[in-house]
Amino acid sequence: MTMTQNAAKRWSRPVLAAAGAAVFLLLAFQVPNFLSVDNLLNVVRQSSIVSLVSYGMAMVIIIKGIDLSVGGLIAFCPMVSGLMMQAGVPIFPALLAGIAAGALMGFFSGVMVEKLEVPAFITTLVVGQVATGFALMLEGGNSIGGLPEAYVFIGNGKLLGIPISDYITVFFVILSAVIMGRTSLGTHIYALGGNETVVKQQGISTAKINYFVFTFSGICAALAGLLLSAQMNTVHPSQGGNYQLDAVAACVIGGVNMAGGEGKVYMALVGSLIIGLVRNALNLLGLHPYYQNLIVGIIIIAIVAVSMFNHMKKIESSKVF
Amino acid sequence: MGENEYKNRNGQSDNPQLCQKNGAVVIFLLLFLIASFAIPGFFRFSNFMLIIKQAAIPAIACIGMTLVLMTGGIDLSLGYNIGLCSIAVGLMIKSYGMPIWLAVLLTLLLGGFVGLVNGLCVQLLHVPAFITTLGTGYVLLGLAQIISNGVSINRLPEAFLALGKTPVGQLNTTVLIALAVCLLFYYLMHLSTYGRELAAFGLNGNASRLSGLNTGAINLSVYILCGVLASLAGVLLTIDVNCAQPTMGGGNYTFTVITAAVLGGVSLFGGVGGVVGAVFGTLSLKVIHNCINLLNAPYYMVDAIMGIIILLAIIFENVKNRVL
Repeated sequence: MTMTQNAAKRWSRPVLAAAGAAVFLLLAFQVPNFLSVDNLLNVVRQSSIVSLVSYGMAMVIIIKGIDLSVGGLIAFCPMVSGLMMQAGVPIFPALLAGIAAGALMGFFSGVMVEKLEVPAFITTLVVGQVATGFALMLEGGNSIGGLPEAYVFIGNGKLLGIPISDYITVFFVILSAVIMGRTSLGTHIYALGGNETVVKQQGISTAKINYFVFTFSGICAALAGLLLSAQMNTVHPSQGGNYQLDAVAACVIGGVNMAGGEGKVYMALVGSLIIGLVRNALNLLGLHPYYQNLIVGIIIIAIVAVSMFNHMKKIESSKVF
Repeated sequence: MGENEYKNRNGQSDNPQLCQKNGAVVIFLLLFLIASFAIPGFFRFSNFMLIIKQAAIPAIACIGMTLVLMTGGIDLSLGYNIGLCSIAVGLMIKSYGMPIWLAVLLTLLLGGFVGLVNGLCVQLLHVPAFITTLGTGYVLLGLAQIISNGVSINRLPEAFLALGKTPVGQLNTTVLIALAVCLLFYYLMHLSTYGRELAAFGLNGNASRLSGLNTGAINLSVYILCGVLASLAGVLLTIDVNCAQPTMGGGNYTFTVITAAVLGGVSLFGGVGGVVGAVFGTLSLKVIHNCINLLNAPYYMVDAIMGIIILLAIIFENVKNRVL
């Protein structure tokens, strides 16, 4: 089994990398302005929301879960911060309160999954619905505008010619990658996704892992929501939209295995950048946004089909029946 | 029978299976009792008829979703399929002037074709259902917007609207269609060999393949049936609002239907579930919605209240399963 998995890993990586490089080169030659530094930095900025969400999502998927609550949290957490800022609370504590709200909701999902053993899919689906509801309720269905200058600067300002959103995106991918790659907690997260029974037999607390992963995902969603509001200079109660599906798509395109146990957090960033680049290139080509969904959908299926094809070939060759 | 066997084998505490056989009915009855005593204006015949009318269309979609969930798969494209079929039927009738029966038939075929594509990706390409339907969902949304140019079509012909809006007593033909679908699928899932094979496949795909079941055909069939039911729901929704829209249904509708299925006691891990659960799950959702409306809660409270009640229902189910 491990041999087939390793073989699949060996194969799917170069295939994905080659396909990605080919598309990138094609775009670079065909699309005017595509390769300019400003445009590429802008793509990172536009992808920053999905990227941030996808780090937490990748961890949840690695433990065989899924976090569908992020869409709700993206609306709910900035609503908390926005209301506090409107009431005159300084920016820093207000942002912290929003992040704490996200962490709390994430932690709650973790408790539901760990203690009540409700599948992550159902738990987070409903928690997301509650969060969306709270976002509407807090301000009576209205959006909040006129946020402080400094807050809007986080979303739209530049430092040394690079958008601040880009720094945030990169900082958190490094943080997540360090957690997953350099700490025992990261090793335990992979282990839980790979084989839960073994983790329990080794005396590792699954509760600790579940709580951490879902809380982290909640924090990521809160950060993404706060950044989104900063970029738009409003908090809209339904700004969560379908970010949970976009984030799952980013993880899947980045090669995070839905069956758990494998995948890299930084590949989720790559996945969301691929989606961002494709949408950006189609925009520059002057194609109507309607076609973007179509093409993103086909890319998702194609990438997974290629990696599954390699995977299945190895399994077929080792089958007894 | 199959469900009982499953419970015995996996009845330990580490089993994440949500609901037992009658969970859906219990939750519905509880909600119904609480609503009857606590909510003024709830316990009225006309109100019950209203709830049934509102539940008819989601129930059709929910039966389709239940079929797919029974195999351990999922159909995230269902809501977008509804949107595509809605705009397709509108275009065929209004812009191309097709006869109504032909337009509806072609729309049902279109929905079935979408399901076939989903099924082929899952069965032949081995792409997990979650990812396949996530991808096709994007594709269908794009297609619906492209063919409609983002414009909705309203004022559809009377003859078309009559398909779903003709009153029958206090109900209408939409409810009758939903009832027919329920009976048909009750037969398919609970009284025919197909239903047994479906449950067996959902519980253990490998074992049923080795026992000689044509698992490929079963797997394909659920996606096709789900697609057809989604398109039927799309047509009926179009009739209900008298407007064909590319954004009808959508991701939120999918998740509402999944929530109804989960309340109806379908296991997301396959093998457990049924038509009765799907119908009562949908009815429970609509009862909650009806109560919130009767209480005159402002619209922005609705989502939060719904969410919290569903959360409590799921916690209740799970605690009940572990105590009993």
